Amino acid sequence: MSIHKKAAGRLMIGAAAAAALLCGCGAKEGEDGKTVVEIVQYKPEAVKAFEALQEKFNATHDDIELKIDSPNDAMTILKTRFIREDYPDIIGIGGDINYSNFLDADMLMDISDYDGLKEIKESYLRTDKELEFVPMEGIYAVPYMANAAGILYNRDMFEEHGWTIPETLDEFYGLCEEIQKAGIQPLYFGFKDTWTCLAPWNAICVDLAPSDICTQVNAGTAKFADAYRPVAEVTKSLLSYAQPDPYAYSYNDACTAFARGQSAMYVIGSYAVPQIKSVNPDMNIDSFVFPAANSPEENLLNSGNDLQWSVMAGKEEKKEAIYEVLDFLYEDENIQTYLDDQSAVPCKKGDFKLPSMLDGMKYYIENDKMADYQDHHYPSEMAVDAMIQTFLMDDSDSALDTFLEKFDKEWVRYNRDLIAKVQKFYEKNPDKLTEGGEES
Amino acid sequence: MKINGAQERKRTFLFITIPVIALFFCFNTLPLIKGFIYGFTNFKGYGSYDWVGLRNYIDLFQDARVGRSYLFTFKYALVGTILTNIISLMLALGLNSKIRCKSALRGIYFIPNVLGGLVIGYIFCFIFTYVLPAAAQNLGIEALSSSMLSSTGKAWIAIVIVGCWQSIALNTIIYISGLQTVPEDVYEAGSLDGVTGWKKFRYLTLPLIIPFFSTNMVLSMKNFLMVFDQIMALTKGGPAQSTESISYLIYNNGMSGGQFGFQSANAFVFFVMIVAISVFQMTVTNRKEEQL
Amino acid sequence: MNQVKVKERYNWPVTILLIIGCVTIFFPLYMAVVIAFKQPTEMTNDIAGALSLPLHWSLSNFQEAMRVTDFWNSLGNSLLITVTTVVLSIVIHGIAGYAIGRSMKSSKFYNFVFLYIVSGMFVPFAILMMPLVKQTAQMGIANRFGVILLYTVFFMPLNLMLYKSYLANIPIALEEAARVDGATTWKTYWSILFPIMKPMHATVAVLTAMSTWNDVMTPLVIMSGTGKNTLPLAQLNFQTQFGTNYNLAFASYLLALIPILLFYLICQKQIMNGVVNGAVK
Repeated sequence: MSIHKKAAGRLMIGAAAAAALLCGCGAKEGEDGKTVVEIVQYKPEAVKAFEALQEKFNATHDDIELKIDSPNDAMTILKTRFIREDYPDIIGIGGDINYSNFLDADMLMDISDYDGLKEIKESYLRTDKELEFVPMEGIYAVPYMANAAGILYNRDMFEEHGWTIPETLDEFYGLCEEIQKAGIQPLYFGFKDTWTCLAPWNAICVDLAPSDICTQVNAGTAKFADAYRPVAEVTKSLLSYAQPDPYAYSYNDACTAFARGQSAMYVIGSYAVPQIKSVNPDMNIDSFVFPAANSPEENLLNSGNDLQWSVMAGKEEKKEAIYEVLDFLYEDENIQTYLDDQSAVPCKKGDFKLPSMLDGMKYYIENDKMADYQDHHYPSEMAVDAMIQTFLMDDSDSALDTFLEKFDKEWVRYNRDLIAKVQKFYEKNPDKLTEGGEES
Repeated sequence: MKINGAQERKRTFLFITIPVIALFFCFNTLPLIKGFIYGFTNFKGYGSYDWVGLRNYIDLFQDARVGRSYLFTFKYALVGTILTNIISLMLALGLNSKIRCKSALRGIYFIPNVLGGLVIGYIFCFIFTYVLPAAAQNLGIEALSSSMLSSTGKAWIAIVIVGCWQSIALNTIIYISGLQTVPEDVYEAGSLDGVTGWKKFRYLTLPLIIPFFSTNMVLSMKNFLMVFDQIMALTKGGPAQSTESISYLIYNNGMSGGQFGFQSANAFVFFVMIVAISVFQMTVTNRKEEQL
Repeated sequence: MNQVKVKERYNWPVTILLIIGCVTIFFPLYMAVVIAFKQPTEMTNDIAGALSLPLHWSLSNFQEAMRVTDFWNSLGNSLLITVTTVVLSIVIHGIAGYAIGRSMKSSKFYNFVFLYIVSGMFVPFAILMMPLVKQTAQMGIANRFGVILLYTVFFMPLNLMLYKSYLANIPIALEEAARVDGATTWKTYWSILFPIMKPMHATVAVLTAMSTWNDVMTPLVIMSGTGKNTLPLAQLNFQTQFGTNYNLAFASYLLALIPILLFYLICQKQIMNGVVNGAVK
């Protein structure tokens, strides 16, 4: 009898002791008098580069201690930290709807007095401006790295067959037919992962739709039904050059297929290269801009801020230390450290060694002929990627109209509060409206 | 003496129950109430927010996407619950009978439940995309010759298959432990009367494991209604948004997206519905319990 | 005589059926094992390639996976959280199940308490998440202890149902006998019922351990920032938005499978060694 009681008692004491022990952990101790600057950045794949940078910084600075955290699922972690009111000093996120939302929630600090901004390419700063729901005074993010999307191609295969890089949409269709004639699959899609539907969509949008279309719609001066009609048509036309039933294959399947030479081209961003190279490390990949327009001058490179730094609001007293950290991150040598580890396009002006698979896009990068991913303006809950997938799967004649009508309708549904806010703003400041229009 | 004993018993029970209720209230009911309150705001999950009154609830009943997710989820849960319970009960009876390699077999049937989501996703996607269509083409089965996961009509069946495959282990364990409570002498008495097979199961085993049947029904209904992992692993809501479950919407649009307030309202409505269903289930099985 | 005969005869048809059924598990498992041993360059998108054996059998993937996940530390955290949760569940949920289960027949209040707690099982975690993150932070338990505490609450409904079901088949006469001997209710529970419920403790242990072992969400939102990882959290390392290293990931998942499988095999012996049959007589 009593043995059982004792056993149970011991269990309870053990559990309580374990609990008490655990309570003790988890407390964070500040270092001896140093200013601690904490960065949370959302690209865990770049953890090695940032660990190296952190070590280098701390070895050369006595008064500041830099901590760079590269967690998995950083967005969830950031949001939970915000709930706890435990704000890091600098956040490294993408220039997308999350940035717009954080900015809209007054969570970021104006850093227009940061000197390093002068060194940043204009188009990337403009991209961030366009991400503001309503035009704001000041600057809230410093772009660090960009990625580029368009068409990746198998360079060896192209050389073998003597295919040339197309510069107009008709040339592109011609190329696809030529590749088909050679008995090779021109394109391979992984549309089972709906987000990959956005890769061609975004690349076509930059050529055929105004870059500030979302702002225009919010202000009530345009409709998606008009702006996106040609985009949707071109996107759907790609299906005839892709493998049958692309909705059965995932992003990973498509990367593997392209890597194994099962298709000549792959409409995706530079970010897919590491995955492709993991399957075929020796593959010779190059890329070109999606030629969706019918005159070469109208085509733009689809490039957006993949990683940018924002300072959290309320960190004014640490500003000097924070700027020093930013200066360090933007030193040419340190940017190159990142570039060597991750294939990316630096947002800073200057001569950097770009990865070879961006050769075909160099002209656009060097001449600043770029526009942002349209999906950076779409609220994720609207699931535009799934809507595009639905549209592509829809074989009926009315598919295009259904899709465009739905796009406008859903946009209003998911952006109701935002649209109200934007329209209220323009009612008060009608002059800003034209200004915004001219800028693009 | 006897009255004292009864009183002591009552006091002890109360002394045990009250802290348990307090704990439960603090970490389940209290946050639920807070979440319920968010349902009346346009909170994004961070930053400032406004009160929007009943707007989220009005939207909820007009939102076609939410409506579709309820239809999908309930269809999925109904089929999944029935299949899982039939198969796991059979499996439990089998694993509980006098068989060879009992431990090994039990261990093997346990594995599906503890394989990580990434593994399940990759392997079953591969099976549905490559293996099954190839097999069907060889056998000349037209209906399965293309991937189930890319068909809006069949994707849900694929998710049911994987959902059952994973959850059967859990329900089987509960059934097995239920079968342990059936006293040996019941069977002995039965076998003297010549009761075997189905009759033995129907009239001797089943009545005694009804409480476990009830637990399993409620548990698997709940697990299937809250389906999320299998959706993420297999379809991510596709193709053409045909497999968006309620939990998928709540999590993706509420947590990852900016609809925290709206999805809190959705989650609350969903919660009330499951409670209603489960209370109904339990009352029915409880009545059975008493009848038998 | 009759009984001995029954015990000796194996039910072969059932055994064979069960072994055939194993194919549904062995096939995916075979794929997982093969992939865990392959290199990324061996990954293909055709059936023959996926089912072929790796070119070299080497444990390098497992070693690398252990390095990436900081295996021993993560395993330690996972074990600590799982074991503590299991112990707390057996102690707290067991006695709660006894108190509530035994009182339900005669008391409306306990009926309500039972339904109240069981209904908590149906609250979608997503609605609790944000408030819990805030609450645990305010209470200073945004750490492993907080995760354990939350698990103890989350698994209460199911475990309560299980204990209640189990008690339904245990005759109340046992306790009454003890009471006549002058034992208190508390003492009666620990000395008589707690040991009788051993098979149910084993069941609860398996189910609770299973759910905690693979859970990502709770530790992710509660423990983030403490610098402590559980195995499933560390395994997120293999997946980034634009690429997944399946080979390392599979190796890691297979490693993580072993402890929980062993735990189940130990517990299932306890589930089987039911003492109920003896106790009833």
